[in-house]
Amino acid sequence: MASTDEELVTRSQGGDLDSFNQLVMRWERPIYALAYRTIGREEDARDVCQETFLRAFRALKGFKGQAKFSSWLYRITLNLCRDWIRRERRQPIAQAPEGVDLVDLASEQTPAETIEDLVARKEISQAVARIMAGLPEEQRTAILLKEYHGLTFQEIADMLDCPLSTVKTRLYQGLSVLRRQLDREGVGRNHV
Amino acid sequence: MSNMCDKEQLVSYLYDDLGDADRARFETHLRSCPVCREELNALRGVRADLISWTPPQPDFGFRVVREPKVLPMPTRSWRAWYTPAAGLAAAAVLVLAAAASIARVEIHRGPDGITVRTGWSASASPENARSFAESSQAQAAPAAAPAQSVDPALLASLDRRLALLEASARDNSSAAVRAASVSARASDAELLRRVREMLAQSETKQQGQLALRIAQVIRDFDAQRVADLTNIQKGMRTIGSRVDEEAAGHRELTALILSSPKQK
Repeated sequence: MASTDEELVTRSQGGDLDSFNQLVMRWERPIYALAYRTIGREEDARDVCQETFLRAFRALKGFKGQAKFSSWLYRITLNLCRDWIRRERRQPIAQAPEGVDLVDLASEQTPAETIEDLVARKEISQAVARIMAGLPEEQRTAILLKEYHGLTFQEIADMLDCPLSTVKTRLYQGLSVLRRQLDREGVGRNHV
Repeated sequence: MSNMCDKEQLVSYLYDDLGDADRARFETHLRSCPVCREELNALRGVRADLISWTPPQPDFGFRVVREPKVLPMPTRSWRAWYTPAAGLAAAAVLVLAAAASIARVEIHRGPDGITVRTGWSASASPENARSFAESSQAQAAPAAAPAQSVDPALLASLDRRLALLEASARDNSSAAVRAASVSARASDAELLRRVREMLAQSETKQQGQLALRIAQVIRDFDAQRVADLTNIQKGMRTIGSRVDEEAAGHRELTALILSSPKQK
């Protein structure tokens, strides 16, 4: 039976590197995904991901378990992303490839998906990435943590240090912007 | 739109985050409010669109590893540095020290540079012997007196002993022999004591020098080992970056090959 995060954290705090590396393997994809969706650059997202785990490793002794380990990692990641955006003095980048390459798409096709569905999905994906990159940081963060990482409203409120109602408002505002933009561009499920 | 058109309630309902009572109340509202119903459906569609945005899947290989520790010299026990190479180096030092003690090597650093001199060469000529005795007398500080220095009193005593033996051989008279024998026994005991003292001093000094030389060899050996490890790490990094470059080249080539039929 796999160890829980709490068990692995306790063993890591005792100096067990293998346990910490199990935590890295368990959380590297979600952390990378959060970094990528926040800053929009693959290489920089990978750097942020590594730096997140290095910082967590260095600060592990001070982690008292007030929050979930994953929430703690997400908070470190968001801080690093914020530093990156401030340092680069620019908005997150939506990496939208030019046109739709059918050869590339073929490798992403799921068995039940026609090529038309695949092309539509790719277009939606690009539009979502572009619109998300233009959202205010607090709305984007609320959507990312809720939609892609499944945090509760309370966990998001604790992480962002704001009231529960503020989280819901930001989420509603961000989703509404997405809806309007997707409508304007004529893509999305609401237009199928 | 009624007073129940609460956007927080709408978001909570959208994410199934309402209690039973609140959910029932909001569903009652939805049945009578087409605006909220339409907005709820639209936001559900946006959520479905969000799913299509997937990040790339890079090859992760990041792991935390412990750096090899380089212990500081003073805290290391002899067991820590005792390797075959260190043993060989120590053995070489012992041989050198033994040879140096036999040859009575002297190393001086002066304005003309470093001078190495052996006891053999010092006794090879009367001039060298004289200069050696002079230098020994000049360095007569008790604590730092070299073990190789010759005590003038001892030399005089040896001369007297030799003279007595020669006299006894020449005269062969019983009285002279008896007198010489008594005198010789007394002086022999004294000589033996002095020689033992000199040997002890010499031994102590050589042990100190040997310890210093062994420590120097160990320091040099460790410094070389650290430098070698650093070079190896640099080399590994260089190799890693070259592999990355080659992989990037291969990716570009693959992309080119895949795109070529399309261009046709």
